[in-house]
Amino acid sequence: MNFPHQDLIAALSGNLQPVRPLRRAEGAALVAAAFAATVLLVWQVLGLWHDGLTGQAPPIFYLVNGLVLVLGLAASASVLALASPRVGQRHDGPRWAMLMVGVLPLVAVLALLVQPHHHAAPLLHCTANGVLAGLLTGAALLVWLRRGAPVSPRRAGLHLGVAAGALGTVAAGLACPLAVLEHLGLWHVAPVAITGLAGALLVPRLLRW
Amino acid sequence: MIADEATLRRLMAASQRGDRTAYTVLLTEASRWLGRFFARKVPPFQIDDLVQDVLISLHDKRASYDPARPFLPWLAAIARYRWVDHLRKVYRREEQALDHHDAAVDSDEAAVTARFSLERLFTQIPDNHARAIALVKIEGLSIAEAAARSGHSEAAIKVHIHRGLKQLSALIEEAD
Repeated sequence: MNFPHQDLIAALSGNLQPVRPLRRAEGAALVAAAFAATVLLVWQVLGLWHDGLTGQAPPIFYLVNGLVLVLGLAASASVLALASPRVGQRHDGPRWAMLMVGVLPLVAVLALLVQPHHHAAPLLHCTANGVLAGLLTGAALLVWLRRGAPVSPRRAGLHLGVAAGALGTVAAGLACPLAVLEHLGLWHVAPVAITGLAGALLVPRLLRW
Repeated sequence: MIADEATLRRLMAASQRGDRTAYTVLLTEASRWLGRFFARKVPPFQIDDLVQDVLISLHDKRASYDPARPFLPWLAAIARYRWVDHLRKVYRREEQALDHHDAAVDSDEAAVTARFSLERLFTQIPDNHARAIALVKIEGLSIAEAAARSGHSEAAIKVHIHRGLKQLSALIEEAD
């Protein structure tokens, strides 16, 4: 019997080589390694803030960095899942985590309006550090996505950008001693928005298959 | 009759290890499943091309399948991705319109296929968008003909198609 796709199937079977299936645990280890390497770089380049590491920083320092870290983990997990598509798989986690973290700049702006004498310095310095510190994690996630089969490239790009920015700003934030809501809520959250936007716009082009 | 989910999963896991015999069986079964999957969602003369596109994607992206998870939801996600991609590319009217070709579907296969069917995607987007896509991209009408048939302007049809394809693209995994 001559089956319609017989020739193609024979060609594909003839070229078959063993492949290593994508395992999410390996992807998670890759992201963890990239984050750890970023923290080491921050330590070497900027130095880590002693009070933050020893539990002596104001609670807002841990609160903001903790919330952003959760967002980074949620977005990273979503990217790993997006590399191995499946009908019925949902990616709502990062959306809710983004809304949660989005409250921080709103409260920071309100606080500045109520008490305008509070400054939010050093402004762009921390934002730039956060963006740069996200590059390694972003690259790791991009490598993973390109090995996979993302069927929602735009969402994959957005979540990749958010994950990179969130984990980057947490790593860079370990060096920042300015632990006030007006500063952390604006300039330490801004990298997430910047890299999220960049990821949604630029990454889909790198994921076509 | 197409092999059941457990068999397909075993075949795919063996294929990832390089078993060519298992891979030949898997691709043959997958091509049958895909033929039914795309029936009536693209003109019949385009089904073979689309099935071949998906088979090639399956081959290129076989590492992205996690053998601990079901096979058909993975294949369906790739098939939907290729289908939306295909709809984007169909811009000019084809001479052969969709006829009433119905692929024979076994009853138990129908349940599995229906779960991932493309129709489910259409129910998740606004009716105007789904109808515009169906008229122009699937039935092969021109924009002007689709506008006349639906009572919308040509500009509105283009907007419906553009927005509908964008929404379909975002729903590939989530609309089950």
